[in-house]
Amino acid sequence: MGKTVTTTAMRLVLVSAALLAGLALGPVAPRATAQDIQVEGPLAGAPAVIGLRIYREMRFQIQLQGTMTLNDEFSRAILAGGQLMFHPTDWLGIGVWGGYALGNIDTALTDQVAERGQTNDVNVLSLPRPGGFTDQIGRLQWIAAPQLQFIPLRGKLGIFEKLFIDADFYLLGGIGFIGLEERADADKEAIFDRCASADLAMKITCLTPTQGERESRVAIAPTFGAGLSLYMGDWVAMTIEWRALPFAWNTSGTDESGSSKGDFPDGKIDSNDQLAHFNHMFSLGFAFYLPTEPGLSHMDEDE
Amino acid sequence: MRLRSEANVSARALRLAWIAAALCCALPQTSAAQDMSFDLNEAEAAEAEQPAEGEKPAEGEAAAEGEAGAEASAEGGGDVLAELTAETGTAEAEDEATGPREQEVAEEIYAVQRMYVLRNGRFELAPSLAMTVNDQYVSHPALAVGLNYWVTNVLAVGASFLWYQGVESESDLNFSVRRSARLAVPITEYQLGAHLNFTYVPIYGKFSMFNDSIFQWDSYLVGGVGMMRTRPVAVVDPAVRSFEFDWRVAFNAGIGIRVFLTKYLTVFGEFRDYIYLEKLENLEVSLGADREEESTWIDENATLTNNMSVHLGVTLFFPFGFEYRYPK
Repeated sequence: MGKTVTTTAMRLVLVSAALLAGLALGPVAPRATAQDIQVEGPLAGAPAVIGLRIYREMRFQIQLQGTMTLNDEFSRAILAGGQLMFHPTDWLGIGVWGGYALGNIDTALTDQVAERGQTNDVNVLSLPRPGGFTDQIGRLQWIAAPQLQFIPLRGKLGIFEKLFIDADFYLLGGIGFIGLEERADADKEAIFDRCASADLAMKITCLTPTQGERESRVAIAPTFGAGLSLYMGDWVAMTIEWRALPFAWNTSGTDESGSSKGDFPDGKIDSNDQLAHFNHMFSLGFAFYLPTEPGLSHMDEDE
Repeated sequence: MRLRSEANVSARALRLAWIAAALCCALPQTSAAQDMSFDLNEAEAAEAEQPAEGEKPAEGEAAAEGEAGAEASAEGGGDVLAELTAETGTAEAEDEATGPREQEVAEEIYAVQRMYVLRNGRFELAPSLAMTVNDQYVSHPALAVGLNYWVTNVLAVGASFLWYQGVESESDLNFSVRRSARLAVPITEYQLGAHLNFTYVPIYGKFSMFNDSIFQWDSYLVGGVGMMRTRPVAVVDPAVRSFEFDWRVAFNAGIGIRVFLTKYLTVFGEFRDYIYLEKLENLEVSLGADREEESTWIDENATLTNNMSVHLGVTLFFPFGFEYRYPK
């Protein structure tokens, strides 16, 4: 499996997406908007909902969240954080979200590399000692993101026909500042100049200290996501949120730059080894609203 | 408001009570799916369970607890119809004393909303694209199609079919780990999957978009059992080893959300975990003549594998139309 398979797969996915889009859009009559309800008579032109609880307009939201990164290659971050947001309208919010990593959990792949990885002359910089692999992997430290929240859908749901709760669906977008800790830059040849390196064992001895050397930096990346708020009362809601932060970083702490056809490895750990990753995460939280009383929509019309 | 005689009022009230009781009994419990309003009353009624006397009952509750409501009506306890019925006795006594006279009556009529879509007895065809979300080494996208028959409005039996071969691709991570750590991670290739499953709808709701359009949606649980055809990809000793596809028994469980665009067309997203015992390539390479021995190529221990997938697609209900039991 290689580039050909990937190209075929992409083609198939695109064709299938086009077919599905055709199926989805084809049978829908042009006039049929949401569920083709055509209201006539005295209710024509009336708002869809009267007496709707306005949970967000002119209210502050203070949210406490627990976040876990998803689909990580080597290390999973568990973050505690929160969000402060103000909503000038019921469908728009502006604020800041952030989280601090309380801990990092190594994945099974990290354990496998530490237990079964092998070092030779070619990868001696990437993996001086397999047992020290956990010291060289990149770890996420904190995230802060000024962001906008867009709330297009507001509704309610019933669970087992017994429990009815208000809900809204939101999209978010902003700029993320991500605090990272990665393996520090290292130049194999420069180290070998200072350290006699005749055989592999000596090379390993020379390079082992670089495995645990760390450097911190702040990456800047777009962030976007979506979430669901489930209102448990007038001023409190539970939130379920997914968020992506695509940016490049060296998750493995290995020497990745260079082509396999000639110049790999380049013998340096540096910014060229930072590979693009679609970092994404899942959050659960509780949001508190101030002031505590929500508004009601179109009550004049109702009366 | 209209003027009418008290005798007419009591007769009409009785008729309404009988019709309301009949409707409540006839409607299935699931009719509550479309019985929610967005107003304040419903949420408060749901919290309080029992509406206050004289207060308009929540529509959802009216349907879900229709039988109880009918009983209450019959006993004259609490609701408007019962109160109208109760007035009859007083009115009859007055009639005897003073004779019939006209009276102004404020009448309220409560209607039970129809379900937006009836599913029972209909088929649902669901083509979709599936993408793996938990395998960092090989992605297993698939072209999928499902067919469900709805036994009731909330329960369906069905089958689904997924085709993987030719769409899969190996990730860069696998290559990178092999290159940088000299570690071979055993991977597998899928050909197809065929599954039988039940679908149950415990959660339903509606969303309004900018207080303009209303979308009905539901959330469902799905689960079942089926077969998958998979094989290991030779990464440890590819010069010698090659593998054929073989059948594995697979269980599946998932949760999804379906949004109705029309009465026969929906879009859906589904998270489903396909769970099976996988046979992986043996990480040990035998020396000598045993290297060619096929029985040494597969790891003796099967590995419990979770292929977590997200499906995105549309569903088409047919027949397209259906008839409600009662006229509007």
